[in-house]
Amino acid sequence: MKINEIRNELLNDMYYDIDHPSGLKILVMPKPGYASTYAIFATKYGSIDTMIEMKDGSFREIPEGTAHFLEHKLFESEDLDAFERFAKTGASANAYTSFDRTGYLFSCSGNFKENLEILLDFVQNPYFTQATVEKEQGIIGQEIDMYKDIPDWEVMFNCLRNMYHNLPVRIDIAGTQDSIAQITADMLYDCYNNFYNLNNMVLAVAGNTTVEEVIEVADRVLKPVEGKMAQRKIIEEPKEVKASYCEKKLSVATPQFMLGFKEDWDTPERTAKEEIAMEILLDMISGPSTDLYKRLFDANLINNNFGFEYFTGFGYSCVLFAGESNDPKAVSEEIKKEIRHFRENGFDEKDFERTKKKLYGRMIMGMNDIDSLANNMAVSFFAGEDVFTDFETYKTVTVEDIRELLNKTLDENYSTLSVILPNS
Amino acid sequence: MHFENIAEGVRLCTQNTDKFKTCRINFSMAMPLDSDASARAILPFILHRRCAKYPDFIAFSRVLDELYGAAISAGVIKRGEAQILSFSMTAIDDRFALDGDTVALECVQLLTDIIFDPLTDGESFPADIVEQEKRLLVEMIENEMNDKRRYALTRCEEIMFKDEAYSINRLGSVDEVKTLTPEKVYSAWKDVLRRATIQVTMVGSMDIEPVADILKSKFSSIDRDVAKIDTVFVNEVNQPEYICEEMPIKQGKLVMGFRTGMADEYDNSVPMRIAVDIFGGGTYSKLFSVVREKMSLCYYCSAALFSSKGVVMVQSGIEDINEEKAKNEILNQLSLVAQGEFSDEDFSSSIKSITDSIISNNDTPESICAWYSSQLLRENLKTPEAYVEEIAEVEKSQVIDAAKTIKLDTVFMLKSNGEVSDDED
Repeated sequence: MKINEIRNELLNDMYYDIDHPSGLKILVMPKPGYASTYAIFATKYGSIDTMIEMKDGSFREIPEGTAHFLEHKLFESEDLDAFERFAKTGASANAYTSFDRTGYLFSCSGNFKENLEILLDFVQNPYFTQATVEKEQGIIGQEIDMYKDIPDWEVMFNCLRNMYHNLPVRIDIAGTQDSIAQITADMLYDCYNNFYNLNNMVLAVAGNTTVEEVIEVADRVLKPVEGKMAQRKIIEEPKEVKASYCEKKLSVATPQFMLGFKEDWDTPERTAKEEIAMEILLDMISGPSTDLYKRLFDANLINNNFGFEYFTGFGYSCVLFAGESNDPKAVSEEIKKEIRHFRENGFDEKDFERTKKKLYGRMIMGMNDIDSLANNMAVSFFAGEDVFTDFETYKTVTVEDIRELLNKTLDENYSTLSVILPNS
Repeated sequence: MHFENIAEGVRLCTQNTDKFKTCRINFSMAMPLDSDASARAILPFILHRRCAKYPDFIAFSRVLDELYGAAISAGVIKRGEAQILSFSMTAIDDRFALDGDTVALECVQLLTDIIFDPLTDGESFPADIVEQEKRLLVEMIENEMNDKRRYALTRCEEIMFKDEAYSINRLGSVDEVKTLTPEKVYSAWKDVLRRATIQVTMVGSMDIEPVADILKSKFSSIDRDVAKIDTVFVNEVNQPEYICEEMPIKQGKLVMGFRTGMADEYDNSVPMRIAVDIFGGGTYSKLFSVVREKMSLCYYCSAALFSSKGVVMVQSGIEDINEEKAKNEILNQLSLVAQGEFSDEDFSSSIKSITDSIISNNDTPESICAWYSSQLLRENLKTPEAYVEEIAEVEKSQVIDAAKTIKLDTVFMLKSNGEVSDDED
């Protein structure tokens, strides 16, 4: 078993990077002085994985929302389900499905080893029957309906559907009433066998524990399986957006908007440096310290809920600006105008340094909580990085990088505006 | 935790620790919830973007950037019949400052600047700023309807507490906001500084003394006359009221409001918390395991105790046609808890789960701050450990007795009016 210690001097933090003989990557960050521990057992399988790779290398399509459905069903077992087992220990357990991963997690301030054993055990032991699948269709059906009434969610998926012709990031994580109706127990087993092998997964733990405790439980409970890191199919996507505008009516008071800029890169994933440079760029264009922000605010075009995100994952990357406004089109024009302004006039070095200083502080703030630490360790592993990569990378970003990035991205010819309007 | 009264009705509460990479400061100010709610609700938002020293909000925001991205947030909450204005600040611990800066103390200075030395225009706030913040507050109140789960809860509260101050929205009302003038808002601020019950809570590695000195000197010039805050606990329940409203939505929202019979915030509150948890708390609760898991009626169905008002609110998102089924089962499950129809295991699960989550509060500066600032109206602050000890002493029979006193008061159902269509491509 190979155990590496990964350290960061500035943060005075360290964690263990373990290649467990079972094939699982295990990451453990002990946090002395903490009362609780957080563990996440995750697989590189999310809503964008709508294709399963078959033995002959071909891909078979599976219904939208299957990853999320499987997440719900994995809690069940032939006798005590996982929630009932965690209830005996007092841990708080949960799970989530995102675009590119599924995570099972708990946090606890006592009985850590027992909880870790439950976590590793239930995720390794699927139990699906047609009857339990049908029962879940009612619960998830209500989850899907709930999201249909959440304007932030609708404005985002409408924006993604506008932007992408083919990429599965355009589909709802939970799927649709129709797609989940097609899911069967057999299908769940197929997906499970393909994506839930230990070589495609990671266990990340942070908090009141030791590496010995984690390894002891892992040695006992992990069962080596055949398998490899699942391959993601590269899906062809035109450079152009599918539609440049859409609107939908919902019962909201103020219209909501999301303005998206589609990007076109030669590689499927963005590097840490590209992501950090983009964070700085976006903050310099539209953060709370900018002229644009103040101008939009003073013109009554935005309120406290204005923000941006660099939205990236396997095969997709785009910039999203979102907020509430009585005139979304005017906001969109102002943002585009400001981008043109920076393209023509460049950036002030002082603004760049100040923004970088802010980013440094915000990164430090992100290294406090055991839940974000464990999640970041898992995400960094799937991205082929470690949790301290950003701290080394941000130092290397120059104002020249920002200029170059702006030349490659934020092109208004590839932008789209999604609007939610009040229906009365 | 260190407590110190630094002026009449002003408590400084500090936890000195280098466990975290950040420090957190919270300023909470409580006033009675009344018809001046909007005049006060607008204050934290006006104040937190500027001060006399940095009148322009871009300049102010850049000062925060230079403090390594220190973040200031403003908020207003309702706790019982108190309206609480709050300012919170998070900054990196001094040991991470790159050039030997003392970030934490500068943050305290900035926070006291916005509170005690705001940007003013004589005896009022600048008119253009007040106008802008009025627009923002109106949008904030109107946009509360966007979150249907929260909106349904708010509507149920408005109906259930129509004769009590608790029905007042924490932000007041749109009509009230529209009547606000710069002078009126300014005098509301003077009033808050004089009459609010105040707690400053800090977690981090900074020295307490200079902070206490700054605060003492600021408060020494204020003639404090603390307003009394009394929350009315109503225990009479007549025939439950039922109200149904329609909206163009996809999923129905059911809210059921109950009165617990608690005489005040402290009355039987620990057994009550456990009873409500077994009824509709964690995944082991009756509502999760039966209404969601067994009957597949919903994605969420849960009960929450608001001990500051002695009420329990049950919420669930359901298909409209399942309303009766869900309501009946929720009431049935409550009566089972009241009859003691829950296992020793359910009881111990609840105690373990509550204990675990309370102890976990020790692990972020935000949750430590929240734990203590939520007690600002209490005379004696309770540590998480002391609360856990109280929980451990509760017996099953006390929980059953507590559940027996929970009575249905109001049911609110938000239904679809049939005007929502699927428009997927």
